[in-house]
Amino acid sequence: MSGRVIVITSGKGGVGKTTTSANIGTALARAGKKVVLIDTDLGLRNLDLLLGLENRIVYTIVDVVEERCKLRQALVKDKKNPNLCLLAAAQTRDKSAITQEQLKDICEELKKDYDFILVDCPAGIEQGFQNAIAGATEAIVVTTPEMSAVRDADRIIGLLEAKEEIQSYKLLLNRVRPNLIKSNDMMSVEDVVEILSADLVGIIPEDTGIITSTNKGDPIVNDDSSLAGKAYNNVARRIMGEDVPFLNLEESRGVLSKVKKFFSGLIGKEK
Amino acid sequence: MRDIFQDLFNKVFGFFRQAEKEENAKETAVNRLRVVLMQDRTNLTPELLEKMRGELIELLSKYVEMDKDALELNFEQEGNQMALMLSIPVLRAKDEDEIEAEESENSEEADENAEEEISDAEKSEDSENAESTDEENQDEQYESEESNTNSKDKSK
Repeated sequence: MSGRVIVITSGKGGVGKTTTSANIGTALARAGKKVVLIDTDLGLRNLDLLLGLENRIVYTIVDVVEERCKLRQALVKDKKNPNLCLLAAAQTRDKSAITQEQLKDICEELKKDYDFILVDCPAGIEQGFQNAIAGATEAIVVTTPEMSAVRDADRIIGLLEAKEEIQSYKLLLNRVRPNLIKSNDMMSVEDVVEILSADLVGIIPEDTGIITSTNKGDPIVNDDSSLAGKAYNNVARRIMGEDVPFLNLEESRGVLSKVKKFFSGLIGKEK
Repeated sequence: MRDIFQDLFNKVFGFFRQAEKEENAKETAVNRLRVVLMQDRTNLTPELLEKMRGELIELLSKYVEMDKDALELNFEQEGNQMALMLSIPVLRAKDEDEIEAEESENSEEADENAEEEISDAEKSEDSENAESTDEENQDEQYESEESNTNSKDKSK
């Protein structure tokens, strides 16, 4: 087996890299793929929280590179999904604790046994970022329809293009608010895509469900009724090569639309 | 009488145009982003831009007298291309004799390599500027597209 190594990055902090990593990883695992999530945000680890695995971590990635344990021992299995596991970041060390070469080696090793290795990148463009992209051949650039996030994404795209090993990168537009776009108060999906001239892999609507799912430590893709969860599931399907149309986020979510949804569900049109 | 109508027409027309053109938050964001990304991508620092501005003034003042302080040099988006827009408030176009005179003066300067003459020439130019502000065509503006650069040039 030779897995794909995909880095999830953004430049700007707080746009949803870790949430995206947790959800895409979970969705891929739900689809039967063997997935490892690597948290490379040394000193500021959070992926364990989003997956609800914070109490199960014994060894971290730093223990692996410093040979205090085998790579396999440091992989924490997900509670719900035996296909998914996490390689956690060390909370007490900083980014200088691992090198690009070491991360590359870990990815190469994991490729043999897993379909997907998703690398959750820290914010910024310094060493932590350089480490995270070291072993990857693909990238997902997470951004939101806000000026600062788009500007930082543009910078990241420039850096990814300069990196030979990265064969392709895709854009994931997070926290989209259809109402604000409709009233011309927020940049639209088309605006962002045009400005960055990059291919889209997903459009995720802003969803309060993300907050509750993070609080529970249960990724939102596990909630089949959530629109954001559905959108993340579609991202996973696109990564696996399926041609999935983007969700129509503009549908009003009033009573009427719920009735419509119910009936179309009966007929079987609703996906 | 005709002036009054013209004035009225301009006011009414201007009002509608303004209402039409008012930029919403999204457009403002898109436009600001395009400009800032252009600068990010080209690595043109403010210092370099200032230098370019200075050299352009030097070159163009051979042919026109302009309001140097009001000269604007900006990046603007034109479809898929970025354009460098140069807006020059022209006080007066110089006539052929003046241009020729300046050219010969410049070549003399180059020959003699005398620094004193340059500063003299600058002084006399300044006094000319002050006189020419009364000229009728002082509000005339020339907008010229100096160069186009590809907006997709992200390689650094």
